[in-house]
Amino acid sequence: MFFFVARRSFFAVILLFVVSIFTFWIFSALPADPAALTCGKNCRPEVIEANRARLGYDKPFIEQYGSYMKGIFAGRTYGEDESGVHCSAPSLGYSYDRHECVTSLVAKTLPVTASIAIGAFVLWMFFGIALGTMAALRRGKWPDHFATVFSVVGISFPSFFLGLLSILIFVIWTNILPFPQYVGITENPFKWFTALILPWTVLAVLSASTYIRMTRNGILEVMNEEFVRLGIAKGLPRRTLIVKYVLRAALTPIATIAGIDLAFLLGGALVTESVFNLPGLGKLTLAAVINSDLPILVATTLVAAVFIVVANAVVDIMYGFLDPRVRSK
Amino acid sequence: MKRNRIIAAIATAAILISACGGSGNGTTSGEESGGRSATADGIKDGGTLYVLTFQEGASNLDPQRVYTGAELGAYGSTYARTLTSYVPAAGKDGAGVEPDMATDLGTHSDDLKTWSFTLRDGVTWEDGTDVTCGDIAYGISRTFAAEVTAGEGPMYATTYLDIPEGDSDFGSAYPGPWLATADQQALFDKAVACDGKTITFSLKVPVADFAYTVSLLAFGPVPKAQDTADQYALKPFSNGPFKIESYEPGKEMVMVRNENWNPESDPVRKPHVDKIIWQYGLDEAVIDERMLADSGDDKNAIVYGGIQAENLQTVFGDDSLKDRRTDGFDGFVSYTMFNNETVNCIEVRQAIWLGLDREALRTAAGGPFTGEFAKSFVAPLLATDYAPAKLVDGLNEDGTPNLEAAKAALEKAKTSCPDVYAKATGDGLRFDHPDSDAWKKNIAIWIDSMKAVGVTIIDNPIEPSKYYATINGDRGDIMRSGWAADWANASTVIPELFGKGGGFNYTNNESDPNFAAFDEKVQSAKAETDRAKQATLWKELNQTIIDNVWAIPGSATKSQNLVGSNVRLGYQWLPFGWYNLGAIGLAG
Repeated sequence: MFFFVARRSFFAVILLFVVSIFTFWIFSALPADPAALTCGKNCRPEVIEANRARLGYDKPFIEQYGSYMKGIFAGRTYGEDESGVHCSAPSLGYSYDRHECVTSLVAKTLPVTASIAIGAFVLWMFFGIALGTMAALRRGKWPDHFATVFSVVGISFPSFFLGLLSILIFVIWTNILPFPQYVGITENPFKWFTALILPWTVLAVLSASTYIRMTRNGILEVMNEEFVRLGIAKGLPRRTLIVKYVLRAALTPIATIAGIDLAFLLGGALVTESVFNLPGLGKLTLAAVINSDLPILVATTLVAAVFIVVANAVVDIMYGFLDPRVRSK
Repeated sequence: MKRNRIIAAIATAAILISACGGSGNGTTSGEESGGRSATADGIKDGGTLYVLTFQEGASNLDPQRVYTGAELGAYGSTYARTLTSYVPAAGKDGAGVEPDMATDLGTHSDDLKTWSFTLRDGVTWEDGTDVTCGDIAYGISRTFAAEVTAGEGPMYATTYLDIPEGDSDFGSAYPGPWLATADQQALFDKAVACDGKTITFSLKVPVADFAYTVSLLAFGPVPKAQDTADQYALKPFSNGPFKIESYEPGKEMVMVRNENWNPESDPVRKPHVDKIIWQYGLDEAVIDERMLADSGDDKNAIVYGGIQAENLQTVFGDDSLKDRRTDGFDGFVSYTMFNNETVNCIEVRQAIWLGLDREALRTAAGGPFTGEFAKSFVAPLLATDYAPAKLVDGLNEDGTPNLEAAKAALEKAKTSCPDVYAKATGDGLRFDHPDSDAWKKNIAIWIDSMKAVGVTIIDNPIEPSKYYATINGDRGDIMRSGWAADWANASTVIPELFGKGGGFNYTNNESDPNFAAFDEKVQSAKAETDRAKQATLWKELNQTIIDNVWAIPGSATKSQNLVGSNVRLGYQWLPFGWYNLGAIGLAG
């Protein structure tokens, strides 16, 4: 088992390395000139060239990549005179658009995204599995119909529509909730909760739909397995059969997807964060896309890649624990 | 002076007197000044004022880098005092400047090349230390530091101050405070000299209205000890009644009262609220809904960005909102620039102008509320320098497209400039514009209009707060822009937008064979001391620009706003085309 975990971890690190080179190369090959974008309306070519040198964009790709990686481990200074800016390790670059070290921006926005992602994840897993189980066990009855309608609605409506609708109903028309304005959980837990309840709900409605269908189908499939029929024949109580055997078997593939979904969401919920004006990683990325703010784009892409790669590795390792056949392959 | 959507600048009483004459042609909505919300009725000191905006953050908070009309007014009235400031009043009363940190509007030499101002006693920074003459000189010197201020703010310091030309990034012998040698610093210190509380400016050109120039935040002070170069844009040091407590782009900025501001040293500002919170990155539709609902904290809110076009009829059709809404000319002219290097074919440019459905654009923007079709790049409010130009032959007065004339012009281009014709009708012309909801509609109209003519448009939306910085580096074939005079002289319009080295000339018109003669005349106009003769030259130059179709004039615009029901003194401050933020108070 130790070697299995070590092997998976090693490959995760290699994958991250490859992703970092590829990401850095893609963004450096884009037509947008990051040096020109640091300049104002009244800029001159000389200023653009000076800023290019300050940012290191005048160097060959390999040297740029080397400086970037070195900055992650040792920090980096942008500019050589007294007006230069130093970003401590791990430095993911400097954004002239935001006037701030990118690591600091990621550190500020990540807790927002994590708050959204984890809360929404808990909600959609709970309701997705609960409604999916109910639909499967009451197949053809009203709980099944309700779950089907719910999942169709959830899948059909885009997040920005549900987001705007929920703001109109709960914030503007009925004043049940204040307009979402994020504050840290340690700063004011109640305000944190009220700011996030709508985004959580919208994301949960969207994602729960998938989990309802997967849970329902999974349970119905497992119910036809021989070991279930054997359990019934041996007189196992229905509750024990469902909880201990059917759900366990049906939810194993769901756990895999849930891990990846959570990791994906931790990389930034672009639309939801924008609609609810939550300053998370997704909103930061969206603004960077619009501004062609390459240092932020490279960093947020790498952070999202780290989440995905780590989630994949964790899921692989968990599978190894759950299923010995995976370890032996 | 640039603006994003509603921002404009008008500078003198002369313009504003003509502004009161207004449109009067029945094509625009009636002007409204805000009713009760513009008065001090029931105002009480204290409370929190909210500013709702779709922008992700300030275009810049660094005084030397701010150049957006509304933000110049907002920051000047809160944390950034200057030697002179516009009078804090509604209507024409707000158009002139008065002494602010200075004791008077300055004294000058006979040749208008030397100006002196004396600092008042008791002007302090937010840490209680005195604002000195050296702080002002240092602040101005930052404009020369291309590696930090990067040409984002007004460049009058580099063009006016008597410093020799040289090798620095802005073409001056002085490279700014960070890179200057002792000798280079001496050049600046000679041009901006301090003697106790008196600061003396030596100019290379006569400037009659320098008292207006120094009202720009770029001529404001910065304490060297607090200067964090590029990061000064995150937390500038305050010498006004408010200071910045926190600023997070994408989220909010909180301004609180500066306890070390001395009201006795400030004849301009009379603050009322305790706190101002800017909420960034809001959806424009949500902003309008919140303002219309007028509940909770939104009763204490104003909007930076105006009302969406689809809501204008709702807002101005409801009499119950008359005490919360404003509507009026903002001194701004919108226009569409050609990149005359890539679209170097007058027939193609004429075809585009003739075929453009300007009425559809105006309708999409909100109809007559948005203003009148412009006939000059100089706003009608600059009465001395304004004259409606003769526009391209065949252009429909009502703004509808003249497809026949457009296609005829395009047909001529087929033989006169086949390359540009092929590009325009084949791969297409790239249209750069701010990525706002308004422009999502406008670009669809552009694409449809041009399709009817036979021209292909490639849409290129750019984040609004970075629009000008982007087109500065990577310029499309067609670009949207807009301008208002920095003060009441077309010298702050035509040379800036179309002259050689004009700070905001994106038209690449230097490649046009007619440019040399044009620019020679621009230089003559700038040096002309007879104001009447100068005005004639500006009018002729405006006609030249239109004859060459280096750009298409759009609208002499109006702006509309809606405030929360508790807002008071929410009048439109004409020099900046927005509210006098620092003066706003709350009732109830």
